[in-house]
Amino acid sequence: MSIAFNGFYAVKNVDFTLHEGALHAVIGPNGAGKTTLFNLLTKFLQPTEGQIFHRGVEVTALKPAAIARQGVVRSFQISAVFQALTIRENIELALLRRSGLQWRLLGNARRDKALVERTEQVLEQFGFTREADIAAAELSYGRKRVLELATTVATDPSVLLLDEPMAGLGREDIDRVAELIQTTAKGRTILLVEHNMQVVSRLAERITVMARGQILAEGPYSEVSSRPDVIAAYTGGTH
Amino acid sequence: MTTIFGIPMALLYAQLLLGIINGAFYATLSLGLAVIFGMMGIANFAHGALYMMGAVGAWFMLNTLGIGYWPALILCPLVVGAFGMLLERFVLRRVSHIDHLYGMLLTFGIAFIVQGIFRFWFGSAGLPYAIPSLLTGGVNLGFMFLPYYRAWVIVASLGVCFLTWFAIEKTRLGAYLRAATENSKLVQAFGINVPVMIMLVYGGGAALAAFAGVLAAPILQVNPTMGAEVLIVIFAVVVIGGLGSIKGAIIAGFLAGIAEGLTKAFYPEASTTVVFLLMAFVLVVMPTGLFGTKTQAAATSVSLPALAHESAFMRWALFGAMAIGLAIAPLFIYPAFLMKAMTYALFACAFNLMAGYGKLVSFGHAMFLGTAGYVTAYAAKTWGLSPELAILAGTASAAVLGLVAGWLCTRSSGVYFAMISLALAQMIYFLALQLPQTGGEDGIQSVPRGALFGFIDLSNPTTLYLFVLAVFLGGFLFLSCLIRSPFGQILKAIREHEPRAQSLGYSTDRYKLATFVISAALSGLAGSTKVIVTQIASLTDVHWSMSGEVILMTFLGGVGTLYGPVLGSFVVVAMQNYLSALGAWVTVIQGAVFVICILTFRRGIVGELITFVSARQREKDRRGIAMPAGSKVVTGT
Repeated sequence: MSIAFNGFYAVKNVDFTLHEGALHAVIGPNGAGKTTLFNLLTKFLQPTEGQIFHRGVEVTALKPAAIARQGVVRSFQISAVFQALTIRENIELALLRRSGLQWRLLGNARRDKALVERTEQVLEQFGFTREADIAAAELSYGRKRVLELATTVATDPSVLLLDEPMAGLGREDIDRVAELIQTTAKGRTILLVEHNMQVVSRLAERITVMARGQILAEGPYSEVSSRPDVIAAYTGGTH
Repeated sequence: MTTIFGIPMALLYAQLLLGIINGAFYATLSLGLAVIFGMMGIANFAHGALYMMGAVGAWFMLNTLGIGYWPALILCPLVVGAFGMLLERFVLRRVSHIDHLYGMLLTFGIAFIVQGIFRFWFGSAGLPYAIPSLLTGGVNLGFMFLPYYRAWVIVASLGVCFLTWFAIEKTRLGAYLRAATENSKLVQAFGINVPVMIMLVYGGGAALAAFAGVLAAPILQVNPTMGAEVLIVIFAVVVIGGLGSIKGAIIAGFLAGIAEGLTKAFYPEASTTVVFLLMAFVLVVMPTGLFGTKTQAAATSVSLPALAHESAFMRWALFGAMAIGLAIAPLFIYPAFLMKAMTYALFACAFNLMAGYGKLVSFGHAMFLGTAGYVTAYAAKTWGLSPELAILAGTASAAVLGLVAGWLCTRSSGVYFAMISLALAQMIYFLALQLPQTGGEDGIQSVPRGALFGFIDLSNPTTLYLFVLAVFLGGFLFLSCLIRSPFGQILKAIREHEPRAQSLGYSTDRYKLATFVISAALSGLAGSTKVIVTQIASLTDVHWSMSGEVILMTFLGGVGTLYGPVLGSFVVVAMQNYLSALGAWVTVIQGAVFVICILTFRRGIVGELITFVSARQREKDRRGIAMPAGSKVVTGT
């Protein structure tokens, strides 16, 4: 598929397959079109040409929310949490839809036992139990990223698209988040955009290298990372 | 005589020509509006007032200073332009760093002040202004007599339109201006004084409005309210042309004038509505107008109070205090005032659901209040329905209208949303003015109060008061439960981060539409109840100034807070009630209060209070027990 902005192709003729159960990373220099690819896959952008399939069914015409309801859930490059809400509320929000409560105009979500239990589980899993009732805005940057991951995982997606989950994190956070990603990867498909090569080599089974809106190479990390054209693309010597 | 569809050709030509003349005014006025919107992002509500200043200014110059038409045509725009620059420098610039919505609200308050002051000085009657001697007389075109002055209006406005378009699209200064709208910081980094440029832009827009005012003086009624009437049409014109597009404003201006003229020939009753119909049609086919760019304004970001987490006890205590206070208040305060304030309070709470929790600031909410009022009045008076059924009918009609309007409006956000809702409301206003069932200028009077469920007699003042109290408290309780419900939580999430809410699987458009419908229905409930109380449904309830009042009430009390709109309504209604002896000054005071509110306490009375209290709470927490261990600061990078 392709997408053009006023004739400029940000992503051009990208043919990309994400296999079920894989932990796949997309790497490439800035402006390569990685985030655009994400926006296309989750329908925040409409491709100019081409089609998108999920489990054999065409989803090209769906809206972002409909894609998410199919279990394809993304995170954002700039930390996306609901700042004014508490951590507990952030997680509840992710759970409301699956509990079938999202159109309830009256009553309190806290009366739903299953929802409360599940919220506690997620809070504990991501280490938020003690600070559950403070506003998300008061969290440090690293903890916000963890919270975003927590809410993303809480929707129990089958496909997880993580846009630079390590960006702006400190060393100790990187290890923790990498671990979390590894744990959540069980039974799910994960697509990862990441600049931190250590993390990519540690997590990803397959990688796709993008440059200038096109796919440069694809394959296992060890194989692809040593290819001269890939190294050239990163050091800026290409074309 | 030749006819087309039964209309004599001569009449058709004549209306066409009149349409072009009107179009010339529309084009000149919407041009200034488009320039200001394009460069500053502000929908300039003061534009009508500036136009009026031009016309009244010309009259004043002639009658007091002896300055004739031709010097006034130059002097008035200069004076009004200078006034505009002062406004920008000392008022608008203070909010230029925050959401453009606040700039728009400021111009709204300024319009009130200017119009009020001019009404005080010049009265409301028309001020006669003679056609300059050079342009008296005219020429017979065969099908009609064309006065020279009207021909001059077309020529002059076409000239001004061309010059403005040329200056912005083809000169270096225009290039700087356009660049500054894209990225003002970058342009500033090039060494260009952007603030001065913005000041000149607003001054220029004001001068254009005043120029149109002077042009209009000899042929239209000169009076202090002339701007308010034309303003809304101009907004519709700018929306049709595409917000911010200069070419679009000019073309749409003439188009609107011609459409109006032709409708006058074929179906005169619809001539005032046709511009708004045209707008609705264009928006359905092309959501950004004829020449609008694709980029839509991001969602509005209103200043909200800090998060308040009050306990359930506290919540019920506050509600109980309000209920008891209102129940015993008629012992001390005039009950009619209280009932009026409560219906407005419910209206403001409904508006607040959208503005504060849905981030959608509507400028046309009066359409729901008024429509429901008319339906209730008609149902109670003509059909003889009992009050509860009449109110139900009114509320339901507001909800249906909300569904249609919401479908049209929620496709856009921010200033676009405000403008479109305003124009739709104006369509409803003209319908109310012209439909035979609504009674035109008189409205529907002496609506029977009847008996609730057939046996509770509402003509008894105490019963009536208790009924209004029950409706208000019920509506309030419903809203306070709604914002705490799962639906309300999702609404808050959309307000905080819409794409994230979408990526969690919530169809945000549907939530916005649902919010719109609920808000419309509750506004309708307020309007219906108001009619049962006052026994009259009138045009004031559908007029755009009513939409303005509800914004004032909500922002004054505190947008996004539960009790803010209630407090704001009581303050505004009290001002209107107890200051009514001051006449035109009430408008000035209202405008001034609004301007001061936006400039100094943007979160409103209750909003600032909550922020203050929660800041102190946090300070106490910090000094008291240490923060929970889990929240230790983790350094980034």
